[in-house]
Amino acid sequence: MNSQEHTDVINAKEKTLRQQFDQSAAVRSVIKQFYIYVVLALIVLVLSVVKLDQVSLFGRGSFLSPDSLINLLRSSVPILTLSAPFTLLMISGYIDLSVGSAMSLSAVVFAWLILNGFSFLPTLGLTLILGIVLGSFNGLLVMKLRITPVIATLVTLNLFKGIALLIVPNNLSAIKGSAQQPMPAWINDYGRQEVFLGLPWAFWIGVLMIIVLIIVQRRTLLGKYAAAIGGNRTAAELSGINAVKYVWVLYIVLGLCAALAGMARASYMSLGDPLSGDGMETNCIIAVLLGGTSFSGGEGSVAKTIIGALIIVCVTVGLLTVIPAYWQTVAKGTVLIVAVVLNHLLVREKVKA
Amino acid sequence: MENKLERKPAVSTKLSDESFITFFMIGVLIVLFVLACFVVPNFYRTQNMINLVTNNWFYIVLGIGVSFLLITGNFDMSVGGNIALTAVLSVYFCQAATGSPNDLANGLGLPYPVAIGLALLCAMSVGALNAFFIARLKVPSIIVTLGTMMLARGTAQVVTEGAQRNTSLPDVFGMLGSMGIPGTTIKLAVLVMLALVIIALIVEKRTVFGRRIYLIGANPKAARLSGISVERYLTALYILSALLAGIAGILLASEFRSGMSGQATGYEFDALVISLLGGVSIAGGFGSVGGMFVGALILAVVKSSATGLLLSPNWQFTLKGIVTFIAIIAQRYALDKRRG
Repeated sequence: MNSQEHTDVINAKEKTLRQQFDQSAAVRSVIKQFYIYVVLALIVLVLSVVKLDQVSLFGRGSFLSPDSLINLLRSSVPILTLSAPFTLLMISGYIDLSVGSAMSLSAVVFAWLILNGFSFLPTLGLTLILGIVLGSFNGLLVMKLRITPVIATLVTLNLFKGIALLIVPNNLSAIKGSAQQPMPAWINDYGRQEVFLGLPWAFWIGVLMIIVLIIVQRRTLLGKYAAAIGGNRTAAELSGINAVKYVWVLYIVLGLCAALAGMARASYMSLGDPLSGDGMETNCIIAVLLGGTSFSGGEGSVAKTIIGALIIVCVTVGLLTVIPAYWQTVAKGTVLIVAVVLNHLLVREKVKA
Repeated sequence: MENKLERKPAVSTKLSDESFITFFMIGVLIVLFVLACFVVPNFYRTQNMINLVTNNWFYIVLGIGVSFLLITGNFDMSVGGNIALTAVLSVYFCQAATGSPNDLANGLGLPYPVAIGLALLCAMSVGALNAFFIARLKVPSIIVTLGTMMLARGTAQVVTEGAQRNTSLPDVFGMLGSMGIPGTTIKLAVLVMLALVIIALIVEKRTVFGRRIYLIGANPKAARLSGISVERYLTALYILSALLAGIAGILLASEFRSGMSGQATGYEFDALVISLLGGVSIAGGFGSVGGMFVGALILAVVKSSATGLLLSPNWQFTLKGIVTFIAIIAQRYALDKRRG
């Protein structure tokens, strides 16, 4: 009887404790799930209230007007296209710092091919093949030759950028049309020409890639395997997952998307700039960290990375309106450190609980 | 597996694997050098050989800190930004407060030694920030140092408004950069570099601190269990690396009598490349400052011959990339052969 009462008391205590624990864990997981949407909403709110007339990008109206939203989305095509596959790679515990250079090289090659008289389909095909080759080269170095991902892709960052710089003639800063050899007007078809809702092909193809990759992450074996490899590669391999093959595929997908992003940029600007992708790797890292993907892999979400990418685009545009250009680097560094801290607070705490 | 274990003692040379790689890379250096002498005009001249060292002193200074950190398994990408930060700040602190309408001509007017000290402190605080995130919060070093690189360079850009500061400087500012051995092209900076390399070699081979760095790199868990405070070692190394970058920044600013926000762009990559060429392994616990020095000379020979062959400067990126990959793969192959 006595002991029965005792047990009841203990059970009740345990129950309340567990409830409290569940509550705090639940609160935390709710914060973790939704904070990024709140942040994006807040930034959009601030931007739409603050006067942005003085900026040329918004010359046609306020932040929420269709024109400026279209402009915003159009300029964010590269980061949107790249951050989705970048997330999958980081979930699997690997990294590719060469995305920006792969994008620049694709942009340069795309513009060079068009300038030298290739028609649309061959140009498209060759640039995409280039992206696949660049991605598989990274995969080869990291997965087959087992060079540390950071080192291998840092070196390819410089290698790809170097090749892009070599393709551009010495006296020019980019591949562009001249009086003797004008750039055909259809170079704009992919990245500038409006096809639907005022947005170009590049945007819709980017959206398509994002949707496909969200489905890949949530519903396919590749997504599950990526998380398993990131969580514990040895365990994943012991349970029969071919880590080399799957991560290699992810590197190739990222290379392909880098080619798409490069084409979008080159087509939008009508020139192939060998520095157009500079700093894209940091943008991707910030987007991924804001989206709550853990540094060491194992968990993460492509959809949230996209929200993170939109935050970066909004912040960049917002910052341009209020601060001089030479504040940009320090601002971007601060955003990266803030993203690291947020990620640490939200992701790590959850793992501990 | 068993075979390998049995064979290992059979290779009973007294040479350690690290010295083996260093000698291997010295061999590569000699081969490259002889090759360059045949192919590149005027490469064999003594002055050119001296230039190979004297034109690259800053990479070697940075390489010391970066190699030590690589041995512990960590990156430091903030060194290039740190050079720009200290260069700009040392100028800004030292510029006279003239009150002229041009912002870039107005400084704080501090005495030069104070200006140097403060600039070095700022550099070290960047190192401390790195250490806080990496050692305490366990954030991957590459992500943190990419962020602090932008913070450091960004601050330099803010102070110089994206350009440079070079006016109303006292005469004493240019002294450090213009001093040197009379009659030669050897500057004070080169002597500082040589002194730092010798100190680093002694620390690495002969002190407890140096040997523990290897233990931390080879097995951080074992290091922690054996009572080494890994956090404290990493903090010390990050601050040291930032301090070395700061010294390079001050010497460079003094040499040019100017603080440029674009100073040392991409030097972090070169520092990493020379460490890798010298056989330092990110897998941890392997490498040496001596090897890094040889790596720096290899990179210098490659760059110098590219210039001598009149290749466009744009070749540098590609060459660096190719050379690094070949070196990493060749070193691994040589080590595997040696271990059987």
